Amino acid sequence: MNAKEGRFYKIRSYWNRPEHAAYLFIAPALVIITLFVIVPLVSSFVISLTDMDIFMQDVKFIGFKNFLKSFREERVWNAFLNTFKYVIFSVPIQIAVSLVLAFWLFRTDRFSKLMRSIYFIPVICSFSSLGIMFKIFFGSAVGFFPYVISLITKNGVPSFWTDVRYAFPLIIFISVWKKFGQTLIILVAGINSISETYFEAARIDGATGKQIFRYITIPMLWPTLSFVIVTTLIGAMQVFDVVFVTTGGGPLNSTETIVQYIYSRGFGNTYDLGYASALSVELFVVIAALTLVLRRYTDKKVEENT
Amino acid sequence: MRKQTLVKALEKGICILVMLIVLVPFIWMVSMAFKTDAEILSFPPTFFPKEITWKHMTAIWKRIPLMTYIKNTVIFAVGVAFVSVMIDSLAGYAFARIRFKGRNILFSLILLTMMVPFQVTMIPLYIETYKFGLLNTFVGLILPRAATAYGIFFMRSFFLGLPKDLEEAARIDGLNEFGIYVKIMLPLCKSAFITLFIFVLMGNWNDLLYPMMMTSSTNMRTLPAGLAMFVGEGLTEVGPSMAGAFISMLPLFILYCFAQKYFVQGIAVSGMKG
Repeated sequence: MNAKEGRFYKIRSYWNRPEHAAYLFIAPALVIITLFVIVPLVSSFVISLTDMDIFMQDVKFIGFKNFLKSFREERVWNAFLNTFKYVIFSVPIQIAVSLVLAFWLFRTDRFSKLMRSIYFIPVICSFSSLGIMFKIFFGSAVGFFPYVISLITKNGVPSFWTDVRYAFPLIIFISVWKKFGQTLIILVAGINSISETYFEAARIDGATGKQIFRYITIPMLWPTLSFVIVTTLIGAMQVFDVVFVTTGGGPLNSTETIVQYIYSRGFGNTYDLGYASALSVELFVVIAALTLVLRRYTDKKVEENT
Repeated sequence: MRKQTLVKALEKGICILVMLIVLVPFIWMVSMAFKTDAEILSFPPTFFPKEITWKHMTAIWKRIPLMTYIKNTVIFAVGVAFVSVMIDSLAGYAFARIRFKGRNILFSLILLTMMVPFQVTMIPLYIETYKFGLLNTFVGLILPRAATAYGIFFMRSFFLGLPKDLEEAARIDGLNEFGIYVKIMLPLCKSAFITLFIFVLMGNWNDLLYPMMMTSSTNMRTLPAGLAMFVGEGLTEVGPSMAGAFISMLPLFILYCFAQKYFVQGIAVSGMKG
């Protein structure tokens, strides 16, 4: 009994020392992240080299066949192209809109605060509910927007969702509409962390609003801006929700993105887990490469301006 | 001087225009949810309802298992937020205030996992959960999200900001490490807790891909996954659809009205890590 108590006391005093207790503090987080991020990440590369399907029986190692097959598949190219198209339009528009509004609304007066809190409302809504709302809002049957357009063009009520020309711009609009309030908040926080003395000095020197924006706000904002650009881009490469709940990839796959295609190959109807993994590894490589290039550019900008 | 006021007025005008672009679809949605079927289909369409009906607001509960969806979303999102705030703050505290071997490497490793897109881990995660027998269970939904790199980062930044020798006195008084964390640190980080809680809650409440993948039975679906299925089946009835979308937005919207500060804080801080 005494020996047992002694050992217990020893163990307790061992784990009570801060440098040992720390491991107990981080253990739960470390276990979870290892089990559910790091292990899956590594497995993903392994699974992409197999022909695994959802039944997970008789899994064979097939080398790079999945990758070679995907390079020849037109639908993969189409999905990547659509994803890039989405990135090229949505990221600059979203950041530009938020940046201009942030410059106008960064102060704490009542008007700015009210605007910012209203712009944030779409951020707290799920794409699923917004999808239902916009599908009907822009829909030809009872939608209000096509009706307004028909009043202007006098060409009858257009049907946006089934038209290859309009479905994509609508998706860009909805996603910018939903997310700009979030980017705005980050940029406002960034502007407010710039010391007031810079603005004061510029105003004393008689700088106009435009000049202050161009020569003070933007350069001083580069650290925040670089974060916003990189995270918005990474997020945009993974676009899924907005497409899934509005067009589902249609019409004629014209809005199908790569994550949408990964989902439908993995869980939609064919259940090719190996092939879907290969596609996700390709997406990972593309995102990593883009991030590296972009980081190099934005880091240079940050350095130039500080 | 006059030109300046004109520019200011123009700026405000554009801001108000943007506000209208944000609000009009919402207002129209609510108005559609309360219109009679005849008025919904009438042409030219009306913007505001001439006659208000509660028919759709009651019908939607019978059309889809909305109550089940709401219950599942609450259990999932609140569960994840609660557990991950606990686990993240424990880890964040250790990374911020205790010196131990391997601290920097482990912390960088955790930050690095922030860069991994979810789609890459998605399929193995599904297989893992399946092998553990946790598909279609709340444990299976909550456990993989029980710790996040961002949460650890967030809590660490917070603990770094606390006065330096807070725990020294307590250690001299003979309080053990866990006691310091519970009795000294926790009371100080109430607002950081709420901020992270709401940040995680919002992310999971609205998440679509993850809960859709991890649940296949209707009675385990969350609101976004359930509604997305509803969209997939084709929106045949406008009134109930709009009522469903409206009802599903309400819980977070009401929370936002009361706790706006915390919603915004979580987002604003996320920009500071760059």
